[in-house]
Amino acid sequence: MTAALALSETLPGLTKAVSLARLAGAGKIYGSGETAVAALADATLDIMPGEVTLIEGPSGSGKTTLISILGLLLKPTSGEVWIEGRNVAGLTERDLPALRARNFGFVFQGFNLFPALTALENVAIAIEMKDPKAKDPRGEARRLLDLVGMTSRSHHLPADLSGGQKQRVAIARALGGNPPIIVGDEPTAALDTKTALSVMELLRELASSHGRAVVVVTHDPRLERFADRVVRVEDGRISAIDHA
Amino acid sequence: MLYVASMWTLARKLLLHDRLRFAVAIAGVSVSVMLVLVQVGLYFGFMNTASSIIDASHADLWVGKAGNESFEFASPFDERAFYKVASVQGVERTERVLMNFAQFKVADGGDLGVQVVGIETTAGYSPLLAPWHVVAGDANRLGEAGAIVVDRSEYKKLKIDRVDHRTEITGVSAHVVALTEGIRSFTTSPIVFADMRTARSFMPGLGTNAVTYVLVRVKPGESVDAVKTRINQLPHLAAYTTREISQRTRTYWSSRTGVGAGFFTTAVLGVIVGFVVVGQILYSGTLQYIREYGTLKAMGAKNSMVVRVILLQAMISAAIGFVVGGVLAVGMQAAMAKANLSVALFPGLYGATLVVTIAMCSFASLLSIVKVLRLDPASVFKG
Repeated sequence: MTAALALSETLPGLTKAVSLARLAGAGKIYGSGETAVAALADATLDIMPGEVTLIEGPSGSGKTTLISILGLLLKPTSGEVWIEGRNVAGLTERDLPALRARNFGFVFQGFNLFPALTALENVAIAIEMKDPKAKDPRGEARRLLDLVGMTSRSHHLPADLSGGQKQRVAIARALGGNPPIIVGDEPTAALDTKTALSVMELLRELASSHGRAVVVVTHDPRLERFADRVVRVEDGRISAIDHA
Repeated sequence: MLYVASMWTLARKLLLHDRLRFAVAIAGVSVSVMLVLVQVGLYFGFMNTASSIIDASHADLWVGKAGNESFEFASPFDERAFYKVASVQGVERTERVLMNFAQFKVADGGDLGVQVVGIETTAGYSPLLAPWHVVAGDANRLGEAGAIVVDRSEYKKLKIDRVDHRTEITGVSAHVVALTEGIRSFTTSPIVFADMRTARSFMPGLGTNAVTYVLVRVKPGESVDAVKTRINQLPHLAAYTTREISQRTRTYWSSRTGVGAGFFTTAVLGVIVGFVVVGQILYSGTLQYIREYGTLKAMGAKNSMVVRVILLQAMISAAIGFVVGGVLAVGMQAAMAKANLSVALFPGLYGATLVVTIAMCSFASLLSIVKVLRLDPASVFKG
């Protein structure tokens, strides 16, 4: 794996000092009036390149709302979301796909790979969907699968892959289009301990060696050893940020 | 280009991944296409049959008694009108046609109603109307007293099996001199061609001077419409171009019998069945991959891209279903021909059916498209 990651994958022009994304006092209220529910309140967080940030908290604490707002999948009802040097909290869904494509890759607990497509095709189609003008999406997909150690399984369907292998393919897919931020929603929850640690190790490598910012929601405290920061969320608020 | 290829690959693989579901979708489109082709083809087949005698003529104008509603049930008029038409300026040639029903004596002793078509058989002339598709015997012998030409497809009804078969029509001796193929009547009564004199002998009740139509050939360089106008100035007569009377006859049978509405209703039902089947299959497929579509949207794929994948699936279903349905329709055409039913399949019908199929599958995909358009990309983080 380390050998595979030795390929040049650094993000040009980025240093640790620059915040890739920033939440400033972000909040989200669902519903209105007496039925209003505050899912997140006053969340402030900087996402830095090369860092792994874990977001932990009990179920219903607001973790998913936090990363949904951070990943531009959900509009906050208050506060600011800074991406590419501007506050994008007020942008409409029409403007957001291009921003998401440039800045984020997503990894999910359930992998969300098209079962009819091979590993290579799953990655290539995501690259093309992000950038229809991509010059060699299949070549790029092969390179990314090599990066995550999946070259030998690139022509297999998801059904023929183990959980860990599927998640590696999903990580390769998230890297398509070279986004600076990888957001994972419990990406190790469906994996056994050994595989989960191996996947987390891969994400750690992507941050350390390739300058990506990795933000992972998890319930698993064993993953904390891979993190630079652990953001704890309780009752819709960031209760603590622990630095490693 | 690569982008289109990938969309195509994704659409094709999503469709083919669940082969049973794909087979059901193709079956739905195929049956729909076949129903449309066969039903509309049957309609045009019937209409072609209804106007076949007119369409096979070489006349520029057909002149009948004014007020005739139906081609087959036209009232006869006195032969003197024939001479008046012949003398109209611009008329090069005229021929008489006598049409009416008579009783054909079949071999077992019973009688069968036939539609007698009396035509001119003057030697040395190529008539404006004569039996066509002659497959046995010699239609030039029609000038013989009692000579008739019948269609091979009516063998069973008329209980004849060969040229020179002898019988009686309305008690008058008749013998078969030639057999044709594919000449049938919309009324289902077998058509019997005979010379004018023979035809009159079969229908004594009409008298010896009756004619039903006068066929007109216009002089070269003369305007057919101008000659038609002049003939229409003659009392009690109405002239139609061959095209007009053909269309008039088709319209009469189509509206009077309701055959058009019947066939087209079945064809529309076929389209509805196809619409429902394809719509249901595409929608269930969309639901199956909804998280994957959501993932693509979350990663920055535009709605238009995801919609294109669904539309491509609809187009693939339409194309394959159209080909399969088209082949099935040809098979049905052959099977129906054995039952003397004519299914008219022609390029224009195939073209129109292809357009209907594409529209049907496109509309069927609307529900799926609305589903992915409304799909909240944030939903990929829920559950």
